[in-house]
Amino acid sequence: MSTIKLAYLNFKQSMKHYISLIVSLAFTILIYLNFQNLLYSDAMGVLNDINQHNLRVIVQSISFVLGCFMFFFIWYSTNVFLSRRKKEIGIYIFMGLSNQRIGKLYMLETIMIGVTALIFGVGFGIITTQLFQMILMRISEISVKIHFQISAAPILVSIILYAVIYMIFVFKGYIEIVRSSVLDMVSASRQNEYVRQNGNILLVKAILGVCILGIGYYLAIKEGGIEVFGNVLSAVVLVVIGVYMLFGGMIPLIFQKAAARKKFLYQRQRNLWINNMIFRIKKNYRTYAMVCVLMLCSVTALATSFAMKQRYDAIHHFRSTYTFQMISVKDQMEDQISDIIKKDNEIEYETKIRMLNLDPSYFGEKDQDASYGILSYSQVKQAAKAAGLDFDIKKIDDQEIVQVSKLYLLSIITEQTQKKVAIDGKKYLQVEKISEPYLGSLQEQDYYYMVSDKEYKRLASLGQEVYLYNYKIKDVQHMKASQDELLKFAAAHQNEMGLIVSDPNSSDIEWIKVMYSLCIFIFMVFILASGSILFMKLYNDAFEEKERYNVLGKIGISEKVLKKSVRQELRFAYAAPFLIMMVSSYFSVHALAKMMQADLLGIQILSVAIILVFFYLCYRISFAIYLRNTGIVS
Amino acid sequence: MTTNKVIVEIKNLTKIYGSRGFKTMVLKGIDLKIFENDFIAIMGPSGSGKTTLLNILSTIDKPTQGSVILDGSDITKAKNKELSKIRRDKIGFIFQDYNLLDTMTLQDNIALPLSLNGAGAQTCIAKTKELAEMFGLKEHLNKYPYQLSGGQKQRGAACRALITDPEIIFADEPTGALDSKASRDLLDCLSLVNEQHHTTILMVTHDAFSASYAKDAYILNDGTMKCQLSRGRSRKEFYDRIVDMQASMGSDFS
Repeated sequence: MSTIKLAYLNFKQSMKHYISLIVSLAFTILIYLNFQNLLYSDAMGVLNDINQHNLRVIVQSISFVLGCFMFFFIWYSTNVFLSRRKKEIGIYIFMGLSNQRIGKLYMLETIMIGVTALIFGVGFGIITTQLFQMILMRISEISVKIHFQISAAPILVSIILYAVIYMIFVFKGYIEIVRSSVLDMVSASRQNEYVRQNGNILLVKAILGVCILGIGYYLAIKEGGIEVFGNVLSAVVLVVIGVYMLFGGMIPLIFQKAAARKKFLYQRQRNLWINNMIFRIKKNYRTYAMVCVLMLCSVTALATSFAMKQRYDAIHHFRSTYTFQMISVKDQMEDQISDIIKKDNEIEYETKIRMLNLDPSYFGEKDQDASYGILSYSQVKQAAKAAGLDFDIKKIDDQEIVQVSKLYLLSIITEQTQKKVAIDGKKYLQVEKISEPYLGSLQEQDYYYMVSDKEYKRLASLGQEVYLYNYKIKDVQHMKASQDELLKFAAAHQNEMGLIVSDPNSSDIEWIKVMYSLCIFIFMVFILASGSILFMKLYNDAFEEKERYNVLGKIGISEKVLKKSVRQELRFAYAAPFLIMMVSSYFSVHALAKMMQADLLGIQILSVAIILVFFYLCYRISFAIYLRNTGIVS
Repeated sequence: MTTNKVIVEIKNLTKIYGSRGFKTMVLKGIDLKIFENDFIAIMGPSGSGKTTLLNILSTIDKPTQGSVILDGSDITKAKNKELSKIRRDKIGFIFQDYNLLDTMTLQDNIALPLSLNGAGAQTCIAKTKELAEMFGLKEHLNKYPYQLSGGQKQRGAACRALITDPEIIFADEPTGALDSKASRDLLDCLSLVNEQHHTTILMVTHDAFSASYAKDAYILNDGTMKCQLSRGRSRKEFYDRIVDMQASMGSDFS
């Protein structure tokens, strides 16, 4: 029989055992393909050059992460495959086949698996791009309309990357086989030794894990200035390490301690499933930790997307508060301007605000190039009322000041201590910082402070008083005609009048929309990935457990009892990463909420709930398949 | 010392394998009564129906005809739920290949059936210790199966079979994988529990030496009970009689 034929027969025969491997490999291709497709789709087309650049950096870094993900997944899968085959390979060696020939056999078989996975991955990948698109459209009303026309480029890129990584590991396996001895191969199946791990090492790991995780949590939510960026980065690294150590140290330690206490252990199914857990955890803890980290990423991604949407809406709100704003040193211009607008458009509302332009030098060490404006309390209040904006500031006294600020997409500085602002030597206590668009688009450009009416009058002598005339028209799409007229009007009053136009179709913040869609996409993919990884792990384990459950059946343990034990075991496998993720996500989302100045608790609860539902489904399916694979039910 | 309580009563047990064209009658109407405190060895050459008989007795297989009454109820007609209850409460198993779980310590292995049945933890601990003492495994309770010798594993398996105080122990070639010293140790232990705790044991074996530890040896050949030998005063003499009988039957007893 030729090697190829033998390899094919082997492959066909053991298809049932490899199905989980094939599915897992196909899955990595599917994710990568989906992401590449997004990159190549016209999602990028809606953005202008600067935005595209912004986003490309982000997308490329995510692509890199997904590439790493694929690398580790293939590594893991091929390793499982190789260790499973080792005993069989040992028998071939006994039969007198040369190592090279067996290596070739292994390579052929593995390539067949790889190709099968590739076909499934690309096939389902193409189908799921449509599915993802539909889900994306459903959940994001502000999301850009992305048309997923499947094109050759993303498919090719995915195939090439997968093939290269896969071949590296196939070759690695080949070399391993060629260099191995019979003894290694035959004894490879006897890996059931060293069940229990050294308690002291576990204890050290557990303590370290808890400490590192604790420091990570602390750094994530610690408020501060510019150092927050560094803190958050270290928090990410520390939490990942902490989670690994928790699963590698703390959990096995707890289980081993539990198993040593026979009074606790000998209670119904506990004896069975806790021992099983201890036996498995050494091999499985990395999987649990990885799933936990993946879920954490996905929850954070969804929170990010939500914050992005909030911010987008807010910025949009900023820009749509007024259509036209004219700034002038002259008073009593409102009627003239509104007459011009009324020629072509209907005015929805109009406001007028007086403000004081101050030279930066009055503000001491502050930005010398920026311009500073002072507003009076009653003026702003009146304008807010006319424009229908929120205004819930109670009286400001003469020592207090309120910053009327622009919106930041992301602020690293999370410290919220009460600042002092000095104007011309007098120190004011900054009691609040508000980002309601009282000044419309103008507020995005300079620094504005609101003081009491009395203080405003006192400061008036220091600078130039200007008048801001604001107009919002009913039909924003029809603004062009008025805009031209107003430009002419402004040009006629050179040096004493300026015009600010807020175009609702401006595309400079469109990239936030795309980020929003991407984050949702990542949320879906990572959740799907974490559920599938656990699912496949359990699917595989079930085959290894088959013999043990067979024995239990033989000594008269009923199906019902075995089912209960399996249920406990699977529950733990799904619940442990979930619970640790839940705690960790509180901190990660909390940190994000601070940086983006958004309330994200609701979205965190929602995303955790989504994961819970998805995991519950995975658990149910896992349970049914586990029972079948172990032979507990036929 | 034999009491009169019948533990198992086998009546006209028949098992036919195969369909119409190729029928093989494996068991041809076997009758046997097992009383409390019996220690029975069933011997026979390969293909004589030993395994089939044991499978039917241990509720894994169903007979074509006949009945097996275990502690008053017919196990051949019992429903699945009842069967698992019977297996759980009334039968203990010892296998040729020990079948200990490699995931847990010897003590956990022994305690497993009892704890799964819902017995209290204290009871489990006390009973594992008591049985381990009796079988000379006290020092090995915290070891894993891979750290134990074959003999120790099989004695551990015997402890596991005994911990639920079953009505009867079915032992399927318990010494099949053991060397002579380990076999002797195990058989001594089984004799001990039979004598001291009045445990009823049914052992299937092809080894005359093992069979000589029983009180009665039945020889199964070609689906029927050929003869019954009872042990007299001396085990050695019993062993010789069994060997003679095997020789006279001339079948392959391996």
